[in-house]
Amino acid sequence: MDFAFTKEQLMFKKEVIRFAKKEIVPRVQEHDLNKEFDFESFRKLGEFGILGLHFPEELGGGGADVITTVLAGEALGEAGVDGGLTLALGAHTFLCADTLFRHATDEQRKKYIPKLASGEWIGCMGLTEPDAGSDVASMKTIAEKKGDNYVLNGSKIFITNGPIADVAVIYAKTNPELKHAGISAFIVEKGTPGFSSGPNIIKMGVRTSQTSELFLNNCEIPAGNLLGKEGDGFNMSMQTVEWDRSALLAPFVGASTFMLKRCAEYAKGRVQFGRSIGQFQAVKHKLANIRIFAEAARSLVYRIAWCKDQGRPLNHLEAAVAKLFVGDWSMAPANDAVVLHGGYGYCHEYDMERIFRDSRLAPIGGGTSDIQKMIISKLI
Amino acid sequence: MNYDFSDQEFALFVQLQEVMQSYVEANDPEKGDVASIDRITRGALARLGETPYLNLGLASQSGLHGTLTLMGAMEVLAGLSPSLFLSVEMSTRVFGRIVQTWGDEAQKEKWLAPLLSGKMIGALGLSEDAMNVDNEPLKTTGVVDGDVVVVNGHKQYVINGPTADWLAVAGVMEGKGAMFLVEKNAKGLVMENRLATLGYDGAAICNIRLEDCRIPANQVMVPVGGKESLALIRMWENQVILGASIGLMKSAFESAKNHAKTHKSGGKPVIAYQEVGFKLSEMLTLVQTSQLFAYRAAWTAEDAPKEAESITLCAKVFCTEAAEQVAANAMQILSGAGFLSGNVVERAYRCAKYGQIAGTSTEIARVKIGDGALGARVS
Repeated sequence: MDFAFTKEQLMFKKEVIRFAKKEIVPRVQEHDLNKEFDFESFRKLGEFGILGLHFPEELGGGGADVITTVLAGEALGEAGVDGGLTLALGAHTFLCADTLFRHATDEQRKKYIPKLASGEWIGCMGLTEPDAGSDVASMKTIAEKKGDNYVLNGSKIFITNGPIADVAVIYAKTNPELKHAGISAFIVEKGTPGFSSGPNIIKMGVRTSQTSELFLNNCEIPAGNLLGKEGDGFNMSMQTVEWDRSALLAPFVGASTFMLKRCAEYAKGRVQFGRSIGQFQAVKHKLANIRIFAEAARSLVYRIAWCKDQGRPLNHLEAAVAKLFVGDWSMAPANDAVVLHGGYGYCHEYDMERIFRDSRLAPIGGGTSDIQKMIISKLI
Repeated sequence: MNYDFSDQEFALFVQLQEVMQSYVEANDPEKGDVASIDRITRGALARLGETPYLNLGLASQSGLHGTLTLMGAMEVLAGLSPSLFLSVEMSTRVFGRIVQTWGDEAQKEKWLAPLLSGKMIGALGLSEDAMNVDNEPLKTTGVVDGDVVVVNGHKQYVINGPTADWLAVAGVMEGKGAMFLVEKNAKGLVMENRLATLGYDGAAICNIRLEDCRIPANQVMVPVGGKESLALIRMWENQVILGASIGLMKSAFESAKNHAKTHKSGGKPVIAYQEVGFKLSEMLTLVQTSQLFAYRAAWTAEDAPKEAESITLCAKVFCTEAAEQVAANAMQILSGAGFLSGNVVERAYRCAKYGQIAGTSTEIARVKIGDGALGARVS
């Protein structure tokens, strides 16, 4: 065992933090308040190379390993980037682009990956439906083969980047008789007749990410837009779980380090009863809890990343453990951070309020904590 | 980065399990009077002396990482018998490291060599009536009298006190911190009655008094670093408690899991009910998170020493609280069967509380971690 990052990895993390603090963080609060996606930040993430970090260089990527990719996510959180932007990044790079990278034809890869890696295009993934959340097999969206085309009908909900995406990976049943084995994945581009998105759904947190329904109304796409074979869709969606449980959790770990620093600064500067509140044990206790969470979560998340770098098939038990832990345990430190700031913690001006709302997604998105418990209890 | 133990480490864990399981089953180290505890501990040390176990973290073993391998090995032994584990570790790792760190060559030859071959039991007398060595100066003193040092003081909760061949007693001499090495049966060393405890009932624990106890000057070690030397001892204790926590929580979890899979209610194993299956999921999450935390803390001891103290404190708070939660939920799952005395889960439940109290207490640890976040040096 060895828990050390390489020098290069640590240097890269520092660079990302520096970049994010200068280029992204100054606009975070304003965009969160306006519930607006920050296109400028997204483009800058692309320019810096973060959107396509793990893709090969010939496709416009950075050729990075998984650990470095996950470190970038942690670094963004640590710099103070909001959970909305990191979620948009996650949906774009891991749920959409990575699925295309793994399963599309060479021609399609060349068409999409460089555009997605640079941020010129934005990607999303449509899996969840109003009546098919974690119970994916009950999805009702249908893809019927018609000559050289597929015709898609149905709707998707809670789609991150839905209103702004240029390309989507859409899951639909090619065989409604079958459960998981009837699901297939398709590439659907913005502007395809019959494909539209609903308005941005107002959410409790991660407000800069744009979330919507997607509608497929006799949406006709070339048969070549099928990813892999018919029936491969469920396995493809499962492969994104590796990223869900590492790269998408990493910003929460980074955010707790950010909170810890902010809380420590505040505790040192805020004077009550004649001394800085940092001198009160109850305040130190909160700082300790935030640190303990960050350190515990970090090991779980990088374990998934390291295993992926080793080329191991995903250990679903360990992945669910990481998700369950980060999900259920990240809210307490966010709560501590708000309370430590007192009245200021409840105000938008201090970032704690935003992080508190953003954290609430952790035990919900990408499979709720209860779903993780279902997975774990089956596997043991 | 690497999240796997090596093949050699795994082989050691398997060997330990094999060597010690039968011994534990045959001897029941979780109870007994001082004489039987003495016999069982010495028997265990002799067996462990034939493996690399006693050397881990004390003498380098080719191919094995020091404290990190030790943490994995401690988990095995603590899972088999918490009491035996505590007796072995307070002797080997705590007493042993004191001698290794602050002893001169002759002292190491005298105490470390027999310790590493499993032929000696050691103990540490640290805690005094004031309990908290961080806030209160030690009152135990040694006064030089020619070639002899005269030691006076009172130590409480000395683990292995009744069985130890040698006791390291922390105190002050000529204004500086000192360790007085006192032999069993030394004149002036008074053993008080063995203490009954909530858990770890198979560990022999007592208070001791030193009344004009005269020891040769070459039985004194002077730790360098003043208060920091006490922090180092606390870190060793904390590592032992980490090992105990992950060991007992894992055995409690396994016991609850097996029960949930075999005990039927309403025609199906109780694990099929979400109230039980979900509890087990939460428990396993705590077990795995704790394991990684403990391994990482152990890894810092050699590979990232600057972080070692603070990460170890973080891990200690987390793992000891997790141990109590896991043990409590395990008992809930075993229900009536778990409440009966003498089973693994009931034992784990009683032992778990100790982890939060011993070493650096959970409260002091949080204060120190908070101090670290505020920019103060953690010590």
